[in-house]
Amino acid sequence: MQTLQEFFHVAVFAVVAVIFTVSPIVIAYLLAPRTAGKKTFVTYECGIEPFGNAWIRYSVHYYIYALIFIAFDVDVLYLFPIALSYTKGGNAFEFYSLIVFVLILALAIVYAWGKGVFTWKRKILS
Amino acid sequence: MCDTIINIVNIVGKEVVRTVVGLIGVFIVVLGNAIMLTWTERKVAGHIQRRIGPKEVGPFGLLQSFADSVKLLGKELLTPANVEKPLYYLAPTLIFVPVLVTFVVIPFDGFLQVKDINTGILVILAFSSLTVLSILIGGWGSDNKYSLIGAVRSVAQNIAYEIPLLLSLLPIIFMANSFSLRDIAEAQRGVWFVVYQPIAFLIFFVASVAETNRTPFDLPEAESELVAGFHTEYSGMRFSLFFLAEYTNMFIVSAIAVTFFLGGYQGPVLPGVVWFFIKTYALVFVLLWFRWTFPRVRFDQLLNFSWKILIPVSFLNLLVTGGILKI
Repeated sequence: MQTLQEFFHVAVFAVVAVIFTVSPIVIAYLLAPRTAGKKTFVTYECGIEPFGNAWIRYSVHYYIYALIFIAFDVDVLYLFPIALSYTKGGNAFEFYSLIVFVLILALAIVYAWGKGVFTWKRKILS
Repeated sequence: MCDTIINIVNIVGKEVVRTVVGLIGVFIVVLGNAIMLTWTERKVAGHIQRRIGPKEVGPFGLLQSFADSVKLLGKELLTPANVEKPLYYLAPTLIFVPVLVTFVVIPFDGFLQVKDINTGILVILAFSSLTVLSILIGGWGSDNKYSLIGAVRSVAQNIAYEIPLLLSLLPIIFMANSFSLRDIAEAQRGVWFVVYQPIAFLIFFVASVAETNRTPFDLPEAESELVAGFHTEYSGMRFSLFFLAEYTNMFIVSAIAVTFFLGGYQGPVLPGVVWFFIKTYALVFVLLWFRWTFPRVRFDQLLNFSWKILIPVSFLNLLVTGGILKI
């Protein structure tokens, strides 16, 4: 109950945000003019007729960054509870555990670096 | 039985009053901030480029933003024929939810805060990830090549800079042992954390520029190559919602930087709120200044800068902080 009360405001703010974003659109819907031109609703593509739609396959070769991110972000979250209970002075064991944890995390970057994720090959030779 | 009901009514009543007052206050801040910042941005841009900037509407062009917002209200609500309608309609709404929710935990003063949630910074971080989602939804739903490329870039950039952002906030939590933003601001009564953590502050600031998609990291909406990035197909009121969210996000990242590193609402003589706004707008001004000073970076430079420099440095910073705290 206590924890739910804490998030009461968060819930109310989220709902109000939704209402707030809908209201100007409703006002604009009532005020704004409407055109029925033939070309008004065509997708914008620098003035030419759009060439097919956007949902095609193309190379995004930085998707590997997203893979590292998933491995990384989940692990960084574990540092938050550590940060909360980290004591000042004495008890060096906490510090050693922190070093081990961070070093293991950093291995992900070292591995990706070694694999050549961070070097982008030129696709067009100049 | 009766007592518990009265108790619940009491608690709920208090909370409701708090929420309503908080909402009014937050809306004044959000709208005032957006109206003032659009004017300031154009004025700053003008003076940096040795122009005057807006000057026709009202004294010094102060009413320019009002004129613009009225104009935007009167614009036709265009929905391009090919869009994925549910996603297209959802995106502007979804981008505004995290913006408003973040204001719940920001401490404007010792007691001027909607609610001091004891997991405050986690609430902010959790909700701010929704921004990426809405950018992706908007870009995907538009069925426009520019939008899609902009959205994909934006996601890659945001996830790359989210990690240094988390890692630069962590040393502060190590020192303050609390997630509550008010506790963190209170912990800086003597010395601001920026004195202990200058590197973390720099990393946080760079990462937050990237998170708000501002120049020099504005590749998602690089206007010279991608027209307008993920919001190419949005016009009129829907476009202005994206705009409102962007300007409010600038305020929010600066406010978080102030709370974590620059002593929050602490300061001599003047009341806390005034100090809070002075510090926040000083940082916002730096963001505006960046935009008209730095050229845009290349995309591989952008991603590699985060993974090769910011993340290792912030790891080192974290370890050093952990070590020094134990001495």
